[in-house]
Amino acid sequence: MRLVLVAAAGLVVCMHGLRAADAPTENQVQAVFLYNFSRFVEWPAQAFAQPNDPFVIGILGSDPFGARLDEAVRDEQINGHPLKVRRFRSFAEIENCQILFVDRSEIARLGQILAALDHRSTLTVSQADGAAQRGVMIQFATENNRIRLRINVESARASGLTISSKLLRPAEIVGTDARE
Amino acid sequence: MTRTVIRGWFAGTFALCLGGPLAAANGGAATIRELKQLNVEDLMNVQVTSVARHAEKLIETASAIQVITQKDIRRSGATSIPEALRLADNLQVAQKNSHDWAISARGFNTALANKLLVMIDGRTVYTPLFSGVFWDAQDYLMADIDRIEVISGPGGALWGANAVNGVINIVTKKAKDTQGLYAQAGGGSRPEDFADVRYGGAFDPNTQFRVYGKYFDRGSEVLANGDSSSDAWRQSRAGFRADSLLSQRDNLTLQGDFYDGRENDQTGGTSHTSGENILGRWSRGISENSDLSLQSYIDQTHLSIPVAPLVINGLQFAGAGTLHDDLMTFDVDFQHRFRIGAAHGIVWGLGFRYSHDVAGNAPALAFLPATLDRDLYSLFAQDEIALQSNLSLTLGTKIERNNYTGFEFEPDVRLSWILSSQQALWAAISRAVRTPSRIDQDFSEAAPPHLVLLEGGSRFTSESVVAYELGYRAQIDSRITASVSSFFNHYNDIRSTAITPATMIPFFFANGLEGDTYGLEFCGNYQVSEIWSLHAGYTLLKEHLHVKPGQMDLNAARNETADPQHQFSLRSSLNLLMHMELDSALRWVDTLHTNRGAAPGSVPSYFELDTRLAWHPSDRLEVSLVGQNLLHNRHPEFGFPDPARPEIERSAYGKLTWRY
Repeated sequence: MRLVLVAAAGLVVCMHGLRAADAPTENQVQAVFLYNFSRFVEWPAQAFAQPNDPFVIGILGSDPFGARLDEAVRDEQINGHPLKVRRFRSFAEIENCQILFVDRSEIARLGQILAALDHRSTLTVSQADGAAQRGVMIQFATENNRIRLRINVESARASGLTISSKLLRPAEIVGTDARE
Repeated sequence: MTRTVIRGWFAGTFALCLGGPLAAANGGAATIRELKQLNVEDLMNVQVTSVARHAEKLIETASAIQVITQKDIRRSGATSIPEALRLADNLQVAQKNSHDWAISARGFNTALANKLLVMIDGRTVYTPLFSGVFWDAQDYLMADIDRIEVISGPGGALWGANAVNGVINIVTKKAKDTQGLYAQAGGGSRPEDFADVRYGGAFDPNTQFRVYGKYFDRGSEVLANGDSSSDAWRQSRAGFRADSLLSQRDNLTLQGDFYDGRENDQTGGTSHTSGENILGRWSRGISENSDLSLQSYIDQTHLSIPVAPLVINGLQFAGAGTLHDDLMTFDVDFQHRFRIGAAHGIVWGLGFRYSHDVAGNAPALAFLPATLDRDLYSLFAQDEIALQSNLSLTLGTKIERNNYTGFEFEPDVRLSWILSSQQALWAAISRAVRTPSRIDQDFSEAAPPHLVLLEGGSRFTSESVVAYELGYRAQIDSRITASVSSFFNHYNDIRSTAITPATMIPFFFANGLEGDTYGLEFCGNYQVSEIWSLHAGYTLLKEHLHVKPGQMDLNAARNETADPQHQFSLRSSLNLLMHMELDSALRWVDTLHTNRGAAPGSVPSYFELDTRLAWHPSDRLEVSLVGQNLLHNRHPEFGFPDPARPEIERSAYGKLTWRY
């Protein structure tokens, strides 16, 4: 047993020389996508009250990204709006945000959430299965260990958002499912 | 493209080294920075791993579930399903000899452990000879297992009889996720040599398939005096799976396996075990909240086991022989899930199983009648009621009709309270039963016309449990998750051995025991940095079985349990320089109280360590070296202290894996 503890201590010491051999995680790549959306989607001018208001990426529900998203937006700005990440534990806490990521932990309340956002220019994003068909503008899906985008263009257009062809071209375009 | 990222990482690592502790605290910064340089199309081509996919959903599950992922299996170096099951902290796993294992949840882990339900892709792997699992007959290409869900606690309401103390659900990958060629081979002190190969292809864009083959040869373990325990084992296995997307809503799966193995026996004979199965499943997704599935399978198993003569005090009661058993099972299951309004999520299902068992009896050991046909009908329904947005109540029951005891009810009530998106509390009360198996009613040692010393009880009825559970699960922050489950179980009608009045023999099985068990299961994960993760697990188990008033047990209520009161595990998973991985798993298992008849015995407590070092010279190639049970030359994990008790030796193997 003593031998094992010594070995474990040794590992801590040599940590600095180590590197990741695994592929990046879904969450890392999705965090970078969230940042990219700020550059490839056009918001109407009224989305910001003041010219130097922050550009807010909101996370609703369990936060799958942690420090990775903060790292992705650190020191970045879009047209003079500094990028900020805000985390909302519940639907009631949501403040004005340009992008709202709805974690799958909140998906049961999706109808309510979308209804409340209806008059705001908020790009909705989720990783929950079927989210795009239910009216979420961009859905992450993992296929063959790669992140795919499913984009509900009608939904974005209805909120006054314009999605760049750079995002649309490689994405799968879906419509809102009438059953929902 | 992936290479660009990898190279960027490499550069980032140097920054990490130079930056010292501060930079290390922002672990992964370099990765994010590198990913940000990519354009959208390149970003979509980055290969990703999904680490926490199941863990996220698990937060809200109202049962003591632990999930072993493919990554956990790969990084453990496990070569078989029982070895992989050591990764579930809520199981007791003990290796008996080269080819046999005792595996249970929440105790009762005897040589004939019988309180666990085990399924592979929805097919129940179960022997009606003793309600347990022949672990030596269950295997798969380890790389094609998607995950293993291990639920401790009763699962009778959904899964039916036998899910008394737990359910193990082994789920293999879909054919579309196993495309291309995969080959691995290796060897060492144990397993001595092995080879796996799989090829996955597509018939058309909506229909994929895979075929696989696996072979291994495991050497013998040893006895306490260092001699070989003569239990070497080899097995070949092959199978296929095809998945077809018939329409946007319909999926069809067809899969099958066959295997053939030979095991040396300490008596000098050889056991032969083989089998084949085929399964078809059709599922239709009606909407996000509604789907149905229909599944059917045929499973055949064949056993032949040498049986030693029955000798007591130098007197031979019956000669040596061979026990054969051929079992055919046909099963069909239907399941439907839908919602009623916003508040009710309903699942219900129907099942039918027919089994035809033919025993070829040995003079010293027999099942009578030799041929037995049985039918099992089942119906279950469950309603998950959303009482409030964060509070849900699940009510369910299974009703089964079997040939031994008629109707059995297995109700279950569960309450789940989501405190926040990071924390959940759950509680449950459930009843489950173990219906009689052939050993309980049909067993005969020796077989007539020889003198019968021990036989099944013609009035043997179901064993039952009522379980009270309370659990808490938390995602403390993005790096730390923890879960605690506690339970109190009350058992009734547990198996005992009674004597025939006046003549003493034959002894026979009765339901003379009752008692309580309680305990808790803890597990926690800590992602120390992007490259290092730690896992800790602990299990406490207290068992108090006693003879019921007015009953007797020749074994003094000691024969149905053989479990450690405490066990804990600590695992470390580390990514090193030069595409290397270093994994270590330390476990401590408390003393096992095991006995023979009423004579007490024990397996001493032990620490053990498994380690794996792997190197990926390219995306397609992996070279790994695995050491198992490194802390001792040899030591027993199971069984009554006896010069013939096999002990498990320190072992190592090397492996080369190639995917294309």
